[in-house]
Amino acid sequence: MILEIYSNIFINPWPYWAGGIIIGLLVPLLYYYYNTALGVSTGYGNLVKILLPAGKLKWIQEKYPDPWNWRVYFIAGIILGGFISSTLSGNFGFTLDMGRFTTLVGWPTIAGVIYFFSGGLLLGLGARIAGGCTSGHSIHGIANLHGSSILVTIFFLIGGIIAANLVQAVLMGGNW
Amino acid sequence: MNKNLGFLGFGTLFGFVLSRTGASDYDLIVGMFIGYDYTLVGVIGTAIITGAIGMRILNKFKHPVKNGEPLKVKAKELSRWSILGAGIFGLGWGITGACPGTVLAQLGEGKIYGFFSFIGMIFGTYLYARLKEKYPLL
Repeated sequence: MILEIYSNIFINPWPYWAGGIIIGLLVPLLYYYYNTALGVSTGYGNLVKILLPAGKLKWIQEKYPDPWNWRVYFIAGIILGGFISSTLSGNFGFTLDMGRFTTLVGWPTIAGVIYFFSGGLLLGLGARIAGGCTSGHSIHGIANLHGSSILVTIFFLIGGIIAANLVQAVLMGGNW
Repeated sequence: MNKNLGFLGFGTLFGFVLSRTGASDYDLIVGMFIGYDYTLVGVIGTAIITGAIGMRILNKFKHPVKNGEPLKVKAKELSRWSILGAGIFGLGWGITGACPGTVLAQLGEGKIYGFFSFIGMIFGTYLYARLKEKYPLL
């Protein structure tokens, strides 16, 4: 019995609704405890200020007076959460495995590195222009019925659908 | 509790759940966009509904914020470029099979390509700061 509960929490993948409920609860919980909107991507500006020579950039100076605020801790926590989940389920390991990208796109590692870096570049740039990401706009914003977040999320999805279908058609030869 | 430690805790829960539901899985994210797997539509949809119900209940509290402050919920304002930014973000989402939250869970799971998506996001944010110098309305 206890073993079964343990397996269902730490080893077996969760059903979608269990994860959705907990992620959704973060929205009111963060307001209740800290009067703060759920959001991840703004914290990447903290990392820019901490890691890159961004001292002269006005936007960074104005938006991030203290880069060591809660956003960095939230980011660190998400990394730690992924580590705990994969370690307890026995899946942790430094790996080049990226599902069907690895099995269907026969690229050398360096090409893969450039590919994922470039996609990340679009994510970082796009999130700032759009004013948020999946957590801030799509989950927090829509849960609060904000029209701007609904509109932005529609365009997130359009971009994702275009990119993924192109990747499948061109790089994966139409396979899946 | 100390705010930073609190966020470390909530972040850990967030990353743990993203990883457990498969939200950090390339195949589930890209598969959702191609139409092969709707697990993540279920995760995001349930999260939105739960969040909406939770906010309704929170608004009925005498003190919606623990320390008695008034609740500050503000819609994000759009610029004329927001839609374009959202489209750019979406392309990155479909290319990497990650978003700014799930890439962190991938990092914690040891996924090396996820690490490069993460580095790309930091440089993408830097690129925004550089562009913002030239184009203040961005």
